[in-house]
Amino acid sequence: MSVTATGGAMARPGQYLTFLVAGEEYGIAILRVREIVECGAVTRVPGTPPFIRGVVNVRGTVLPVVDLAAKLALGETAITKWTSVVVVEVEWEGARTTLGLMTEAVSRVFDLGAADVEPVPSFGVPVKLEYLLGMGRAEPKFVLILDIDRVLSPEELMALPGEPSAMRRAGGGPTSPAPSRGVSTPADPLRGGLEEGAVPRGERVAAPAEETR
Amino acid sequence: MDTDRQALTALFQAESEEGLAAMEAGLLALESTPDAGEALDAVFRAAHTLKGNAGSLGFAALVDMAHVLEDLLDRVRGRHVPVTPALCTLLLECVDALRTLLPAAIAGKHDLVPEHRRLMRWMAEAAAGTADEAAGAGRRAQGSAPRAVAPDRRTLRVDVDRLDQMLNLVGEIAVSRGRLERALHAQGSGPAREAQEELDRLSADLQELVMRVRLVPLGPVFRQLDRTVRDVAAARGKIARLVIAAEDVEADTGLIGPLRNALTHLVRNAVDHGIELPERRRELGKEAHGNIRLAARHDAGSLVVELSDDGAGLPRARLLERARAQGLVGEGARLTDEEIDELIFQPGLSTSEEVTEVSGRGVGMDVVRHSVDGLRGSIRVDSREGWGTTVTIRLPLTIAIVQGFAVRVGEETFVIPLDAVLECDELRPGTAVQAPGGGVLDLRGEAVPYLRLRHHFEVGGPAPERESVVIVRDARLRAGLAVDALLGQSEAVVKPLNGPLRRVTGLAGATVRGDGQVALILDVPALLREATLRHAAGACA
Repeated sequence: MSVTATGGAMARPGQYLTFLVAGEEYGIAILRVREIVECGAVTRVPGTPPFIRGVVNVRGTVLPVVDLAAKLALGETAITKWTSVVVVEVEWEGARTTLGLMTEAVSRVFDLGAADVEPVPSFGVPVKLEYLLGMGRAEPKFVLILDIDRVLSPEELMALPGEPSAMRRAGGGPTSPAPSRGVSTPADPLRGGLEEGAVPRGERVAAPAEETR
Repeated sequence: MDTDRQALTALFQAESEEGLAAMEAGLLALESTPDAGEALDAVFRAAHTLKGNAGSLGFAALVDMAHVLEDLLDRVRGRHVPVTPALCTLLLECVDALRTLLPAAIAGKHDLVPEHRRLMRWMAEAAAGTADEAAGAGRRAQGSAPRAVAPDRRTLRVDVDRLDQMLNLVGEIAVSRGRLERALHAQGSGPAREAQEELDRLSADLQELVMRVRLVPLGPVFRQLDRTVRDVAAARGKIARLVIAAEDVEADTGLIGPLRNALTHLVRNAVDHGIELPERRRELGKEAHGNIRLAARHDAGSLVVELSDDGAGLPRARLLERARAQGLVGEGARLTDEEIDELIFQPGLSTSEEVTEVSGRGVGMDVVRHSVDGLRGSIRVDSREGWGTTVTIRLPLTIAIVQGFAVRVGEETFVIPLDAVLECDELRPGTAVQAPGGGVLDLRGEAVPYLRLRHHFEVGGPAPERESVVIVRDARLRAGLAVDALLGQSEAVVKPLNGPLRRVTGLAGATVRGDGQVALILDVPALLREATLRHAAGACA
């Protein structure tokens, strides 16, 4: 058993967007981010696993929204005024697909240098080791770099056949928060680093080649 | 056969026009960079394809002209003839000549006019290297009679993506039209209302026009399966004939790919499993060649595609045996003939004793169902052992906009495609048999099952005192959907459910409502199928 469990794949240097999931700061390569939108009304979709919160309307396109906290087994994200949906692009069965990631709050953009990536220690991180591409050194502390291709892969996201199809979040409207274990709502989620690399919500952070259709 | 020929020539024409355009582009590239080998190769390929296709249709004039062109190109490729502006002009003139010969040949005129013969002579001379540059130019100067201009077809090739965008926009306009109408309705009549009504009419026309632009004739698409039939039949020592009855039926371009995919599997299956060997057919008193009929027609807002063969039919006993062996059907379960036939759509189930090159791996029919489901369609199979099988695919005519009927369940809004809706009524508990999640209601004396959507989708919260029921139908049965409230009819632009939501059963897509909220569109056939399956599973357990 080696100390690192990332199987060799490590985060590449570049700009990273960070956000909070269950109170911890995670990062993904900004090139994968199409835009960040405010979490509006989410319509639940029956017959999907709990970490699929439903679908949202982003300027006429209907996007599936994955609750990252639920996917990472850290509880369900409670919807607050900080809750943001990070729209990312992933490869799905050969086609480029856009998905929304529900996060507690978006925090900052930072530059990850080649020397700033540490391997993931074999314990001590709140999520499965295979979900991470490394620990990014970003003041004041390490940021967990997510392997979104892994976390959002078809195997990880598809409901297994025979799983109960249900709208589990009983009661309440489409946006009703149903907090369960592990949800922490930070008093000031944008604390730290916002002065420099703040990301205003609703604005493009990357300029992708094509428009969202 | 006449319509077949027409379809073939239409295909030939489209391909040849593309080929000629490619040749032209290649020659122009060659002219600016004389050693552009790739450009020359592209021209050569296009000429060769054109010649081959024209030959198979018996268009002699085109073949002759293309042949001379090929000869000359061959000499150029071998560097026996240098690329000069004069040569490029000559080659471009040849492309022009082909362009005039093409419609003439299709119209049945196969003669070369003198100027074409002259052009061919020049090209032969150029190929032989005997053409004197100056003389050639001089000859052309006097010899170039006014070129017969190809009839202007006034057509335009457009990227399907652009059409998708147009359709999307038109759909959005339809939605805001609805909002405007509601807003103005409150004000009663007035100039604004009149303008809105006119706008409404115009945009409805525009919407229809945009949808029409996307229509593709099905005949040529079906015709491509001819080859599949022949190849599979030849490989299996069978004789089969494909008869196509699609006349002028057109379908949305978005349907074509998945439909062709599904039909390819079905046609392979029909030949491989359905049609018997010629000797066997004679023994049975059938014609030695198997007949496969592929028909398409419009029916009540749907496109119906029917593939029938006069082969052996589905081997029900073997199907059932296999399904039992694989645990797909319980030992004691009794299935109707229709239910047994349905088993062919189960993934992994194949009845053929051997896995052949073409089918028998048990994946084909599963793929077919996926393709059809992806188009919000339904599929059914009818079979008579010894007499053949008919597979009927029913697809909604346009996959982009549906007339929808919105209902409310708890705080969720669902949209039911209107073509599946028969009627609506209040659910009167006193007159219905109650079961968990649904029941059976009395619809003018008929026992119609109903499904309570609140239960089926596990929407939380208490049911209201009064519920409504929407009577829907699919190809097989009528059923009710019990909901909290009826919201009414409106146009819904279908947005696909992507990524992890692609395979969710019972949903055909999503749509953005007037208030910006997303509502899910129900897939009625899949919903009813799921309800039947769940009930069967519940009853077995």
